[in-house]
Order: sequence, then C-alpha cells, then structure tokens
Amino acid sequence: MIRTGTYWDFILLVLMIAAVYYYMDKALKGKELPRIRTIPAVEAIYEGVGRSIELDKPVHFAMGASGGQLHTSLVSMTLAALMILRHTVKLCARLGSRLIIHIPGQTEAIPLVEGIARDAYLEEGKPEMLRRDDMRYHGYASTSFTQAVAGTYAREGVGLNVMVGIWYTDCVMPLEASKIYGGLNVGGTARWIMAYAFAMMTDYLLLGEELYAAGAAVSDNPVMVSGIASEEIGKYFVLLLLIVGLVLMAVGVNMGSIFAM
Amino acid sequence: MSEFVRRELPLVLIFICGIAVLVPFFFPHPFLNAVKAELGNWAVIIRNVTIFLGLIYMSFSQWRSLQRDKSMGGYIYFVAPYLALVLFVGTALAFPGYINSAQYQWLYQNVYRAQVSMYVSLPLFYCYSAAYRAFTVRSIEAFALMLGGMLYTLRQIPLFTYLFPVLLPIGEWIMLVPNVGGGRGATIAVGLAAIVVGLRTLAGREVTTIEVR
Repeated sequence: MIRTGTYWDFILLVLMIAAVYYYMDKALKGKELPRIRTIPAVEAIYEGVGRSIELDKPVHFAMGASGGQLHTSLVSMTLAALMILRHTVKLCARLGSRLIIHIPGQTEAIPLVEGIARDAYLEEGKPEMLRRDDMRYHGYASTSFTQAVAGTYAREGVGLNVMVGIWYTDCVMPLEASKIYGGLNVGGTARWIMAYAFAMMTDYLLLGEELYAAGAAVSDNPVMVSGIASEEIGKYFVLLLLIVGLVLMAVGVNMGSIFAM
Repeated sequence: MSEFVRRELPLVLIFICGIAVLVPFFFPHPFLNAVKAELGNWAVIIRNVTIFLGLIYMSFSQWRSLQRDKSMGGYIYFVAPYLALVLFVGTALAFPGYINSAQYQWLYQNVYRAQVSMYVSLPLFYCYSAAYRAFTVRSIEAFALMLGGMLYTLRQIPLFTYLFPVLLPIGEWIMLVPNVGGGRGATIAVGLAAIVVGLRTLAGREVTTIEVR
C-alpha cells in the first residue's frame, strides 16, 4: 500500500508523468507545442552582445558561485542556465564578440560548461573563438567567486553581463560592479529569496520561472519546450487544489485531514 | 569509448537508480528501503570522490594559470600553503579526517568563518549602494518591489512607525501576504520543474548533461 501522507504526492506524480509523456510525445513527433511568448530579457542578450562590440568590451556570463548544482531540486535552474549559456556563446560567435565565462564552484560543472561552450562555437562554425583563458574558474566559495568576477569587470571591462541560474547573496556584488563599469545587466533566478536583488539591479529581468521559459525558448529543443508545457499542467492542478481547498474550508471541511492522507 | 558506454549505459544506470530511489518513497518495503539506503551510501562515496577529483583539477587549473600569468603567483603562493595546512590538519593530523579536532576547528572558526562573516555582511552595503545607483523602475515588477521595499523598510524604523502608525500593519501585510504568496508560487514552480527534469532524465530525454563533447 502507499505510504500514509504521500497520496497527494503520488497523484501529482502520476499527473506529471502523464503530462510529460503527452507533451514529449508531441515534441518527438514534431507536432505543434504551446508557444512561449517573447521574453524581453532574451531579446536583450542580442542587444547587449551588439553593444559590447560597439564598446569594444567583452560579454560576461555567470551562473552563480553555486550554479552548477546537479544533485538538488535546483537542477532545473542549472539546465536552464546552460541553455542560455549556449545561446549567448552562439550569439557571441555569430557577431564576433569576446565572451568571458565565469564557471561555478561545483567542479562537476567545469567540463559541462566547457563542453557546452565548445559545442556552441562548433555549431556556429567558429571553434577558433574558444579561448580556454576566457573560461575562468574561481574556486569553490562565493567569497572568491564574487571578488574575482567583480575584479574581472574592473580589469577587462564589461559590455553585457548575463547572470542566470542559482544565485544566493553572491549576485549582489557582481551586479553592482557591472553597473559601475557600465555593463548592461541581464539576469534572474528562480530562487524567490534573491529575486529582489535581480529586480533592483538588472536592466532586463528574468523573474522566477521565466528563467525556465527562457532556457527552453533559446534551446531550439522541442523536448525542453514540452517540459514547460508539462509544468503548466502541474500548476493548474495546484491552482485547482487551492481553489477547491478554499471552498471546502469555507464550508467547514477539515482540509488538514484530507491533505494528511 | 563506444556510443553505448558513453551515452546509453549512463541512461540505463540513471533509470535503474532513479526508480530504485523513487519507488520506496511511495511503497515502503524492507528490501526496497535497503536498496535505497545502499544507493544513498554510494552517492556519498561518489560525491566524495568527485570532490577529490575536483581538488586535482582545481590545482592543475591554478598551475596552468600561473604558467600563463606569473603575476598570479602572489595569490597562489599565499593560498596554496594554507590549502596544504588545512588538508594536513583535517586529514593527517587526526586521521581519518576528524574535522572536530581542536586544531581544525581553530582554523575553521578563526580563518574561514571570519572571512565568510566579513563577506556575508558586505552585500548589505552593496545592496544599499545598488538601490541608490542601479535601481531603475523599468517595469511594473520593479515598481512593486520599490513600493513594497520602501514601505517595509520604513516600518522597521521606530521613528516612522511612531509618526505613521499605519506603516506597522502595512509592513506586516507585505511580509505575510504578497511575500509568502510569491514565495510559495516560486517554490511550487521550482518543485514542478525539478519533477519534470527528473521524469525527462528517467525517460532518457534529458540530454543537456550527457550530449556535450
């Protein structure tokens, strides 16, 4: 029998399996998927790369001092950030801008970031633009990461600063430093507790789950887009539970006992 | 490396391990629980091995940086002896890795923790500086943040709550209603995204992390 207290989790999981299967099947068969609206922050990356070329300053990309997590519930943010990295590398390769990538502290992210960048340069037919010196690893601590990133802005300049993914308090210093040195800040995190910092300091914001949508939109991968559609089904289910719960509570039903099932 | 070993085998292993961890969560059974616990132990072992590999990679990366740019030496020659000291105290002095030893704790409390405390307090000043310099009301979200932040900050200052008592309930309302509601919405979105990534991984369709060369 199902463990007591996990009935609702099980229902949600079954629903999500059905939704993921349905949309993934559509994606793999090439059928039409729900459209992701144009996200201003994604458009701004293109604008920012052009701006960097005009100013003769490099583009910077960072996904957080702890942005390489592949083993927590935040993994989806890492994957979305990698997709945006791929998009940024391709734009820089296409338009001819220098890109400096600040690799997260998680050592398992080093080959991943390097591989994504290498693939993206190859896809654009410009593998010679890949410079190992411009892939900076600053160690496993937000202390060293933030200071190194801010120092790089100061020494080498910043035209566009893309900061997406898992960010903690380590976002504040680089965002502020980029602003001081004249960079265009584009970024965001799905971590609610740090959304305020991005809202304050970015020129173009990816608010909350917009990060996932942006990652899917720039991925050129229908399977990623199908994931966003599946999440919507989950959200509608949660919303339905919320409304039903509110109504039942209003008529005196003990929702605590129902959700303890 | 053959295509099967590079691509198919990891997907098969991920699927088996994922199912073995997921099923006992809903259907408790002594055997399934034992398998889950064993996999958990192996996850810890693999994680520690990757940390060791990371240490090697990081050292190599720093060495290459030093070869490229000799001016880096000032930093590396300072940090490397400290790394060696921490490794010695943490692993050799009280073998095997007794981090509660007085020597290790002294290093942790007086060097590492002091540095982190300094760092964590710094963003506060950066935040205020950024609020003054970088904050531009370009969107409805930014305007809402400015208004909410301003009202809540004023609510925290006794002088303003004395002069304008209405700030107290407004500040509480901001914290307990929009903040909690927004936070829960974001948490649900993160959770659902994690479920979708997990299911995509189990189905062998999460290619972001395994298709890179």
